[in-house]
Amino acid sequence: MAPTTEPILEVGGLVKHYPLTRGILFKKQIGAVKAVDGVDFTLGRGETLGLVGESGCGKSTVAKLLCSLERPTAGSIRFKGEDITGLSGRALKAVRRNIQMVFQDPYTSLNPRMTVGDIVGEPYEIHPEAAPKGDRRRRVQELLDVVGLDPEYVNRYPHQFSGGQRQRIGIARGLALRPEVIVADEPVSALDVSVQAQVINLLDRLQSEFDLSYVFIAHDLSVVRHISDRVGVMYLGRIVEIGRDAEIYDHPTHPYTQALLSAVPVPDPEGRAHRERIILTGDVPSPVDIPSGCRFRTRCWKAQPRCAREVPLLAVPAAFRATPGPAAHPSACHFAEEAVPITPAPPREHGVNGDGPR
Amino acid sequence: MLLDVRDLHVEFRTRDGITHAVNGVDYAVDAGETLAVLGESGSGKSVTAQAVMGILDTPPGRITAGRILFRGQDLLTLKEQERRRIRGAGMAMIFQDALSALNPVLSVGDQLGEMFVVHRGMSRKDARARAVELMDRVRIPAAAQRVRDYPHQFSGGMRQRIMIAMALSLEPALIIADEPTTALDVTVQAQVMDLLAELQREYRMGLILITHDLGVVADVADRIVVMYAGKIVESAPVHDLYKAPAHPYTRGLLDSVPRLDRKGRELYAIRGIPPNLTRIPPGCSFHPRCPMAQDVCRTDEPPLYAVSDGRGSACHFWRECLHGPDH
Repeated sequence: MAPTTEPILEVGGLVKHYPLTRGILFKKQIGAVKAVDGVDFTLGRGETLGLVGESGCGKSTVAKLLCSLERPTAGSIRFKGEDITGLSGRALKAVRRNIQMVFQDPYTSLNPRMTVGDIVGEPYEIHPEAAPKGDRRRRVQELLDVVGLDPEYVNRYPHQFSGGQRQRIGIARGLALRPEVIVADEPVSALDVSVQAQVINLLDRLQSEFDLSYVFIAHDLSVVRHISDRVGVMYLGRIVEIGRDAEIYDHPTHPYTQALLSAVPVPDPEGRAHRERIILTGDVPSPVDIPSGCRFRTRCWKAQPRCAREVPLLAVPAAFRATPGPAAHPSACHFAEEAVPITPAPPREHGVNGDGPR
Repeated sequence: MLLDVRDLHVEFRTRDGITHAVNGVDYAVDAGETLAVLGESGSGKSVTAQAVMGILDTPPGRITAGRILFRGQDLLTLKEQERRRIRGAGMAMIFQDALSALNPVLSVGDQLGEMFVVHRGMSRKDARARAVELMDRVRIPAAAQRVRDYPHQFSGGMRQRIMIAMALSLEPALIIADEPTTALDVTVQAQVMDLLAELQREYRMGLILITHDLGVVADVADRIVVMYAGKIVESAPVHDLYKAPAHPYTRGLLDSVPRLDRKGRELYAIRGIPPNLTRIPPGCSFHPRCPMAQDVCRTDEPPLYAVSDGRGSACHFWRECLHGPDH
């Protein structure tokens, strides 16, 4: 599934295993947590790729790998064509400038002993070439203004701000070095509903203003759909289905995606009696002991003996290859087929608030 | 009426002054009914529930006014010993975070069995057998083997089932579930909500579901009360509320949810942030964030106006809100 613009990030065969060892002096590896186990995707310039999945599916590890906060066990991450996984020293530092992260928890990701000005300006300490020393305070104030905070707040401390404001501070810090890619790991899930929309709108506006490309990681499927051009669904360390947002949400062909979408509560009580729900049984298997063949087969209602033997590849399923349509997108299932799409809620009759202020 | 909360006020004494957490809450729930209490953090939804259960930390918390009628009896006049008898057998609570709500050094069998030993005077052996039955009832696989396991040996979804089993053990008439699925993944959330709804039907329990999730509410609730700054701002049957909210705060919440027909557009965002409960704005507490606010909203506190039968809104302009912009 190719993006519509030139690729800025190309990820191929990405693997991250955390070894499990036994013994103190003579450590012996007895296994590995296979957090990321073969992930491929491409991010186009100016595009937003959403990654969804449940806890433990490896989406946050992917985020850390993209920002070079962890080294992959195998695979490549190409930034504008150059593989960044083997870089070190000055070259690594230069690449990190271009790929910045926004974290989930605005309470723990900001140092409580630093002022907002120091937090947002800290990237300039590490990359002094990005802004001359005398200019930094002005730059920081500009950044605060850009994310909708009063520039006069530079001398305040994080505890003086609400959750939504703190997330704006985290976003300002992410923007300080003018990166080309922002990796946002659950940027709104710690926020109250009424504040989430403010931050989503801000991220949307910044994307066009600064020509940013986003990798947007979240477990909230409706938030991901709103902000993403393309969406990848992860399960136990792999992408099981990827495509444009409408392809994934309206024409899912992988049973896991179908179950995930059907489980999302819809904020509309009409027709709740007829809503078809696929209730999965059991829990996600441990990433230490991944099932053979298709990793979803232990919870899948369609599983056949073949699923235990053959690993399904992430490709357009044979059944849809001949007929170009929204169902023809990569899906890692031997028995991929379209389910009846979930009908979206009809818009309410009156909308006082319309599109509203930002 | 099974539970009838009337004009409840709760405050907390803190270093920064008095926090007015609950400021005159009325709600009622009947047997077999599901009442959803919707609100953001700090709206007072959990504090109200704690007051009903009698597990409010006092001090610093204090119930300053109101009545909590359970089967017609005012719980606030009872002695702690009498309340303890009602807690568990009459009403039970399910908490958000099962890992911290369960005792880490007791096996789940012992914790489930404790209910029968304490309240029913059963022997440990009989209590253990009942614990296995309960674990079966909430569909924990291999219950007989797992009864000796400790909470950390279960997954998040399974721990939540154990909490549900514990709440159900004495077949209470009322269950209060405080964000029961917030910490769970969406596929597990669906399993747990399904189970809860099924058990509620079977035992004809009253259920108070406390949540911030508009989707979960729409799926299971009969009636809904929306809380803001310690007050109920709207109370309605669930279908009516989603079709046409009668309070600008409810409307704002519904409009700010990302939905298919809003894709590619800016989302509506309620401006500002929820108020500090030590300094609640005068008049209508929502007025600083309200797009419809007039002068009267800054001075006069709106009562809960009767919108229709069984429906109320604490907004001076509920008519305008209900009928949309073309008034």
